[in-house]
Amino acid sequence: MTYRVEPGLHRDVAKFGGGDVTTCMNCGTCTATCPQSAETGGFPRRIIHLLQVGHREKLAGSLEPWLCYYCGDCSESCPRDANPGETMMAARRYLTGMYDWTGLGKRFYVSTWWEIGAIAAVGLFTVGLFALFHGPVVTGRVELNTFAPVKWVEIGDWIMGGVLAFLLLSNGWRMSRWVMGAGKGVDVPFSLYLRKLPAFFAHFATQKRWRECEGPKTRWLKHFLLVTGYLTMMMLVIVGLRWFQTDEIVPFYHPTRLLGYYAAAALLYVTGDFLLGRLRRKDGIHKHSEPTDWVFLVLLGLAALTGILVHAFRLLGLPLATYSTYVAHMAIVVPMLVVEVPFGKWGHMFYRPFAAYLAAVKQGAAEAASLGPSRAA
Amino acid sequence: MIGKRIGAFLCHCGGNISDYVDEEKVRAAVEKESGVAVAKTFLFACSEASQEEMIRTIREEKLDGIVIASCSPKLHLDTFRAMARRSGINRYMYTQVNVREQCSWAHRHEREEATEKAIRLVRAGVAHSRLGVPLTDLRIETTPAALVVGAGVAGMRAALALSDMGIAVYLVEQAARVGGRVPAWGKMFPNDREGAEIVDTLLQAIRRRENITLFTGAEVVEKRGSVGDFSVKVRAADGTEEIALRVGAIVVATGFDPYLPAAGEFGYGAPGVVTLPEFRELLPAAEGKLRYRDREVRNIVYIYCVGSRQAAAKENPRPNLYCSRYCCTAAVHTALLAAGVDAGVNQYHLYRDMRTYGKNEILFEEAGRKGSVFLRYPDDAPPVVERPGGELLVRVRDVLLGGEEIGIPADLVVLVTGMAPRENANLVNVLKLPVGAGGFFNEIHPKLRPVETMIDGVFISGAAQGPKTLAESVASSLAAVSKGAALLLKGYVDLSPLVAKVDTEACAWCGECGNACPYDGAVERVRQGGKEVAYVHPALCKGCGGCVPVCPAEAVGLEGYTNDQVKAMIDALVREIV
Repeated sequence: MTYRVEPGLHRDVAKFGGGDVTTCMNCGTCTATCPQSAETGGFPRRIIHLLQVGHREKLAGSLEPWLCYYCGDCSESCPRDANPGETMMAARRYLTGMYDWTGLGKRFYVSTWWEIGAIAAVGLFTVGLFALFHGPVVTGRVELNTFAPVKWVEIGDWIMGGVLAFLLLSNGWRMSRWVMGAGKGVDVPFSLYLRKLPAFFAHFATQKRWRECEGPKTRWLKHFLLVTGYLTMMMLVIVGLRWFQTDEIVPFYHPTRLLGYYAAAALLYVTGDFLLGRLRRKDGIHKHSEPTDWVFLVLLGLAALTGILVHAFRLLGLPLATYSTYVAHMAIVVPMLVVEVPFGKWGHMFYRPFAAYLAAVKQGAAEAASLGPSRAA
Repeated sequence: MIGKRIGAFLCHCGGNISDYVDEEKVRAAVEKESGVAVAKTFLFACSEASQEEMIRTIREEKLDGIVIASCSPKLHLDTFRAMARRSGINRYMYTQVNVREQCSWAHRHEREEATEKAIRLVRAGVAHSRLGVPLTDLRIETTPAALVVGAGVAGMRAALALSDMGIAVYLVEQAARVGGRVPAWGKMFPNDREGAEIVDTLLQAIRRRENITLFTGAEVVEKRGSVGDFSVKVRAADGTEEIALRVGAIVVATGFDPYLPAAGEFGYGAPGVVTLPEFRELLPAAEGKLRYRDREVRNIVYIYCVGSRQAAAKENPRPNLYCSRYCCTAAVHTALLAAGVDAGVNQYHLYRDMRTYGKNEILFEEAGRKGSVFLRYPDDAPPVVERPGGELLVRVRDVLLGGEEIGIPADLVVLVTGMAPRENANLVNVLKLPVGAGGFFNEIHPKLRPVETMIDGVFISGAAQGPKTLAESVASSLAAVSKGAALLLKGYVDLSPLVAKVDTEACAWCGECGNACPYDGAVERVRQGGKEVAYVHPALCKGCGGCVPVCPAEAVGLEGYTNDQVKAMIDALVREIV
């Protein structure tokens, strides 16, 4: 059955940002320039062409946007200044919106007010929870665990984690259906999905594919630093909260303190660096910033900042400052996770490694298919 | 004949000839030929110094004929004829022998044989020269008036340019109105001027000229005479009136026909499938929204190369192989106009190759920026237009998607049609215009003689010659004007005297020569000395010699190549070398 294209799709996607798709004459200079493009065949041109033609089905099933790490070489080499790198960025936003079955992701990307409103609502909701259900406020000394008992915060953690995991996994399921369906004709055995699973975790932890991009590795290194900081912090607040959030002041060399400092330093340094880059707009890749880019970085930076402030006030023995900063910290962290992870830019932490994993599965299936006949013979 | 003093000059052509042909041996052999007074070799006969030396030799030796064994006459016949004239002898007393292309280049590995062949060829040249007689060019006084056929933009522009040079012009248009196809185009690329406005400006200018006579609704029905002095007849389309005119040159600017798709070709004939010219007629009326048959047009699909660059097929035994040049740019420009009416309209361009060459490339880029999508289809898998459920759907294989097929929903399918040669059988017959393989009129040489035809004094211009943009049409019509005016302003034309001549005593008019002659009107049947004989019109004869061998009485000869000369050459060629 011939697929019916959707004229004007590129105008839809343009609401998510991106370069000027209509300027592109499909010369393919971007694709020739891209060091990632060789094995997967033909992006960014392919993606831009899909947008021009209006092939939403193929776009939904494309892994390419996630296999691009936005080095910006394509945009620099583009003879028409169509900015293909930024279009790949917009495609990631659009896909994030498509994968999300609630429809909220699309809303947040297209409308800044929806996104900020949602963050504000969740933040206020969090503040409201504390206002209604906080424990006794001890003013003589810092007793954070009396104000916000670890037990309750942990329960909140797990509920939120469960909801987020459900949303991400269900979106990932949609993504994989489109991606694997787009390969038509190749039968993928379930065992292959299992065998390739380590690829997901490897890419999640290291973004190793990024290292195939040309140019200095500093961006990868910074990003890697950010990931380690983030993961460390997640381990501390989800798995190890009972040891992390204590009123006892542990020695400086205590693992929770050391790990906490590392994570906060990494998060602050990298988000600060990225924010500065976007403010200066010196590098091609930072010339265009959509509101969602700012929101993501600002929230992450503020989360780290408020976190370290909570710690500082506790050390200084300032009970009220500690409690109020803690509430503020939660009012940033909760909306950041609830809004940005399943519906926003943060989704890429899941979609990128998941795409690398699906690419590995597809490649495995294709290899098996090409080996098939010779085995039979 | 006895006493004729011939100079034989042998050229080395650097080494092009002498590396393979033993020039000294040729010289020694030729020197002994009867009539040869002097035989010399030259490193480069065409060089200034060699020509000077040859002129000195001609004068010192009191030569009355020369033979130069060098390259092809295509290259240096005129050079050496001019040299002969400068030396004081008749230019037709010069004979060129081609020993480069025919000996040294053709027989690189058989030097002895090449040398022997050169000797024979030069001997034949000497024999030809020995029997040569001085000839003079045929001078025709030209009539300072021109006929321009076709009052489209190219023809009108040609008429004005000729008039500017003081040449009287008869501008003949078959249709009732001037302007040809241009008024229907509306805004035209590259500067969006209205076609009708362009035509109107030209028409006003023509009306102001006293030396332009415009005939509309008229046809050229007869042409007699030759270059510089044609007699033509122009007849009103209704047959009521016929006017005889005398002109010195004719410019043909009869334009093209738009390619008309066959019923069903890319869905043509179904509602919503139109040709580019048909779509252009919809555009001027559109305001705010594009509408077709009272429905708003959201999606337009252009299919390029309809009627151009066709492949031969069973159902199309005479395909249009050529590219129509104008259509890519015209379609892109049309898309810009459509986007100007409604910026939100989606436009798909299904092309084989985009050829918006030259400055028009800017339009291509602009069309992209205004939302046009360009999509290439494979040469061997053209798009298919369907109407499943009444809605138009264009199925096309997208090259960039690896040839995968997609369906594009369309409100309007625009077939970007090319140019086809006009149905002009009558005019072709009257003017004896040479028609090329594609059905357009043929020039003599596409690069060097782009507007001249095999018929001296008849020039072609514009899209009658082949697909052109309007700018190119006008450029070519002005080229035709300059060639024609050069002829007329000089006041005369010199024609080659190397034409057929009838010995009226031997001739008994059988008509064979007339049948063999490919040039209209060159052979006439006349009464002379109480009997009917053939007469060859020297201005119409091209000297092809087609009439000579068919004459049973050997009454026709070719000046400069008389029967005696040719026989002597054959004898010289076959005589053994001792």
